[in-house]
This record gives sequence, structure tokens and C-alpha cells, in this order.
Amino acid sequence: MLADLLKGNIYFTDELPTWEESIKVAAAPLLSKRFITEDYVQDMIKNVQINGSYIVIAPGIAMPHAQNQGGVLKTGISFLKVENSVTYPEDKEVNILFVLAAEDSNGHLELISDLSSLLIDEDVMEQLKHANAEEEVISLINSLE
Amino acid sequence: MTNVANFEEHSHTPEKKPSVRAKIQAVGGFLTNMVLPNIGAFIAWGILTALFIPTGWIPNEQLGEIVGPAITYLLPLLLAYTGGRMVAGQRGAVMGAIGAIGLIVGSDIPMFLGAMIIGPLGGYVIKKFDQLIENRIPAGFEMIVNNFSIGILGFGLMIVSFLFIGPVIENVNDAMTSAIQALVQTGFLPLLSLVNEPAKVLFLNNVIDQGIYYPLGMQDTLEAGKSIFFTVASNPGPGLGLLLAFTLFGTKIARRTAPGAIVIHFLGGIHELYFPYVLMKPLTIIGMIAGGMSGIAVFSFFDAGLVAGPSPGSIFAYLALTPRGNFLGIISGVLVAAAVTFAVTSIILKLDKNTDDEADLTSSIAKSQSMKAEGKQLMNFAADTATTQEISKISFACDAGAGSSALGATTFRKKLQKKGISDIEVKHYRIEDVPESSDIIVVHKNLSDRARMAHGDKKIITIESYLNDPSLDELLDQLSKD
Repeated sequence: MLADLLKGNIYFTDELPTWEESIKVAAAPLLSKRFITEDYVQDMIKNVQINGSYIVIAPGIAMPHAQNQGGVLKTGISFLKVENSVTYPEDKEVNILFVLAAEDSNGHLELISDLSSLLIDEDVMEQLKHANAEEEVISLINSLE
Repeated sequence: MTNVANFEEHSHTPEKKPSVRAKIQAVGGFLTNMVLPNIGAFIAWGILTALFIPTGWIPNEQLGEIVGPAITYLLPLLLAYTGGRMVAGQRGAVMGAIGAIGLIVGSDIPMFLGAMIIGPLGGYVIKKFDQLIENRIPAGFEMIVNNFSIGILGFGLMIVSFLFIGPVIENVNDAMTSAIQALVQTGFLPLLSLVNEPAKVLFLNNVIDQGIYYPLGMQDTLEAGKSIFFTVASNPGPGLGLLLAFTLFGTKIARRTAPGAIVIHFLGGIHELYFPYVLMKPLTIIGMIAGGMSGIAVFSFFDAGLVAGPSPGSIFAYLALTPRGNFLGIISGVLVAAAVTFAVTSIILKLDKNTDDEADLTSSIAKSQSMKAEGKQLMNFAADTATTQEISKISFACDAGAGSSALGATTFRKKLQKKGISDIEVKHYRIEDVPESSDIIVVHKNLSDRARMAHGDKKIITIESYLNDPSLDELLDQLSKD
């Protein structure tokens, strides 16, 4: 499920000026496919402004998300890798982002479950950090299933 | 001899004692948490009632129409909703409210105590059901199963509570009426408080006043021009004493709300305002009974009475209905009742507070532990869990209840499965929706203040990463050892 939802939502870039910008860029595929609205992007940024960097779920990896207050039209996920890491509040360096858009708190658990398998597999994560094409990311995810 | 036997019996089961005490404290805390968030609604209703009922300060028939439905439906539904929510989150809240409407329609008095029972019960039912079917719903059917499970179980609960409550109320009413008649026969009126005060708090105040005491009072008035029966259940003194005690010695939030309740109760005459405080700490009913008794004793001593039923039972209505020459008796009765209730309730609250303070102390110790550097926190936590009871539910919480907490819960569940542990429920919630049944709450350190505000009585583990955190590894080790 994770691989299916990520297809076409995987992007790579070299550098971004701010963490706010990284969330905007990472969310752009979901925005253009009308999975989310501009409000949801703002909600995700606000979430970090208010609650700090708890969305940095593992060293180097952020999962921007927020509560769905109408900004999520369809459950989805997107991937962005930034070559030179971006600094989040509390001095956290991030170079991989998974933007999560969940319609409600239970409908996407299969997706979360796949994501969890991916993130706790250290070998796969190491390879992910060196991936630089969509096919590579997808085949890494598929290798888990 | 029997004493010795009893003593031995007790000494054989020393380990049971603290858990019973802890349970009673937990129930007390549960009642408080169910009532306190809704005090504002009681106050809104109290202001409305004091102003607009026919005997109110600015009677208004049209606006007065809100009074009945608000106390019959709004307030009990809020209590049931909150009670259900505490047990099983949002789904429990919905079940609690569905169950309560059955009670409300099935009875003809406001169903407060009933709502405080059916609310958590409804939450419990749906929680058990959810546990039963967890992980068994085919993907894509979650929504339909979730909605129809509440729909069908709620339908049943609604019918059962409707059919059940009518006969119960009738029996309570009959028992109360005959108890009051028997007590009147004894001629020693202060005993009436034994029935009056519990009955009032169960919202039977209008039933006993208008159904029993006012008719008795009117008979007296025809002969003597006044009657003590008008005062036995409507004395605003005990309620004043109770609220004053809460103002000075109650929990933090109770302290802030009680003064407002005093105005509406004592000056406005809406006694319902103090009922939630008694429901929060049921032991304080002793203070109410003591105060009520003292009040009646003083009225009897001065041979004081009122010329008609004071409605609403405010101090102003009392003074307006006091016949000439009775002012000393009536005012003393009210003041003595207030003083006695205040004294007794203060003692009860203070004793209770000592145990609360212990709990506060332990939670603040836990807090300071969790604030220490990660490495040290681990060791403290390990020592901590060694003494705690069995753990059956771990709740991961975050701001939205959808992203990081879900990821954390899923990951932790997988780790548990790998260790072959299957009897621990791991779920994710929005911080404020974490159910009361959780044994441990896991939350990111940035959100820990919010978690403590909502669940100060719970064991809270703060982490740096929902995915992989030393504290979680430690917890996992601890659980797999047990």
C-alpha cells in the first residue's frame, strides 16, 4: 500500500532555505493532485511552530502531518529527499521527509504499518538515504513486503 | 473472640488493602473528572432558572421554557457523554449519550446519578466490543463496522435503560415517601435530613418539597399561620457551607468554580448548583446531613417556621416568607446549618486532600524523573515499573492522533509481537482522547505538559522519538520480563 500511494509522489532536491519551505516542497505533489488543500500545508507548518519538532520521528527523518480539519481530501503520502539537510527547530537536521495526509485517525493504518516496517529496518533505511531515483525508493519498499 | 478472628483474617490479606483504597480514590477522581468539565453548563442553567422561572427574579414565560429541557436533557447528557469519553474516547462518549437518553425519557425526574452510571457503562460496552473485533475487520470495512457497532449496541442500551429506569425511580420514590412519613411520626424532625439530603442530591428535591413537605406545611399554616415543614428541605444554609468548604479546601478547579455557585445557590435559590460538588466527593453528603439536622434542630428550638414554601429556596425568599417574630429563629437556623456543614465538609475535604497530595507528590516525582537526562530516566523508570501492577493498555498520544502516535503505536505493537506478547493493547489517540483505561501513556516530550494536564493521574512516558527511543526499549524489556 505504501509503494502504491508513493508512486509519482517521490522527489529529490539539493537544497532548501528553511524547514517551512521543505514541508511546502514535500507536500507539493499531494497539493497538485488535490489530495490536500493549501490549508493542510499551513496546518502542518503550524503544528511544528506550536509543538516543536516532534514530527522528526527518527534521526534525519521527518513526517510532517497535522490533524485533518478539512484540509485532507484523500489519504496520501509523499516523499522528498533533500541532499543538504534542512534544520528544524531544536536544531534537528532532516534530509528525508514523508508528508502524511490522513483523512481520519484510523483509515490509513495499513499505510502506517508499512511505513513503520520501513523505518525500523536499519539496512533498508541506510540504502534509502543513498537512493536518488523514484524506482530505487519503490523497489526498496517492495523489498520489505 | 470474633474480634480476634476478624483481626487474623485481616492480617492474612495485607496486600489487598492498598489496592482497595487506591480503587476508591480512583473512583473519586473519576467522578470529579466527569462532573467538573460540565460545571459551566450547571451555572448557565442556574442563572437562567434563577431569573426566569415564575417565582424567579424577572419571570419570563418564553425564556423559562428552556429551563425544563436543559435540566432534563442537556445536563444529564453532558455527564453521560463525558463519562463515556473517559472510558473509551469519542466512541465511548457517543455510546454514553445514547444510553442516557433511554434513562432520561424513561424517568420523570432529571437523571443525574443514572447518567453518571450509564455513561461510563456505555463506554465500557463499546470498548469491550472494539477489543473483541480488533484486527479482525477486513480492510476497507472499518467505517461501516465502527458505525454499526455503536448503532446496534447503542440501540440495545437505549431500550434497556428506558425499560429499567421507570420501575427503579418508582421504588425509590415510594421508599423515600414512606421513610419520610415514618420519620415525621417520630416527632423528632432533625432525622428528616437523613432522607432529605441524599434525595436532594439525586435531584428529587422538587419531588420531596412539593410532593410531601409543602402539603404538610400548608396544613400547619392553616392552624398556626406558619410551618417548620417549609424549611426542612429548602434551607439554603447547608449548601452554602458546602460550597464555602470547597472554595477554601477543594481541588484547584473546584476552588475556582465554587464561589460562582454560591451566588446562584444562596442568593438565587437554585440548590442544584451544589449537587455536582456532592456527586464529585460523595462523602461530603455527611456534612450536608449534619448541617441539615442542625438547621432543623435550631428551627425547632426557636419554634420558627415560614408562611409558605420558599421557591426558589434562596435566602431572600426565606426572609420574605418569615412571619414577624421568627427572624431570629430562621436566620440562626440558616447560619448554624451553614457553619456545621462547612466544618464537617472541610474536615472531609482536608482528609481527602492529604491522600490527593500523596498522589500529587508521586506524580510530581514522576515528572521530575522524566525531566532528567534520558539515561537516568531509564533507570528510574525501570525501578518504577517493577512495582507497578499488570499493564494491559498502552496509549500513544500526539497532537492529531493520526500520524506520529499511530506510527509509534504500530511500531511498538510489532515489537511486542516479535517478543510474543499479545495480551497488551497498544493504541493511538489524540492527547485529550486517551481513555481512562490506559495504564501507560507515551507522548513526545514537547507534548508532555498537555498530556499531564489532561491525564495527570496516569503514568506518562516521555520520548524523543515515536519510532525508536531508549525509554521504549526499556519498557519493552520490562514487559517481556513480566
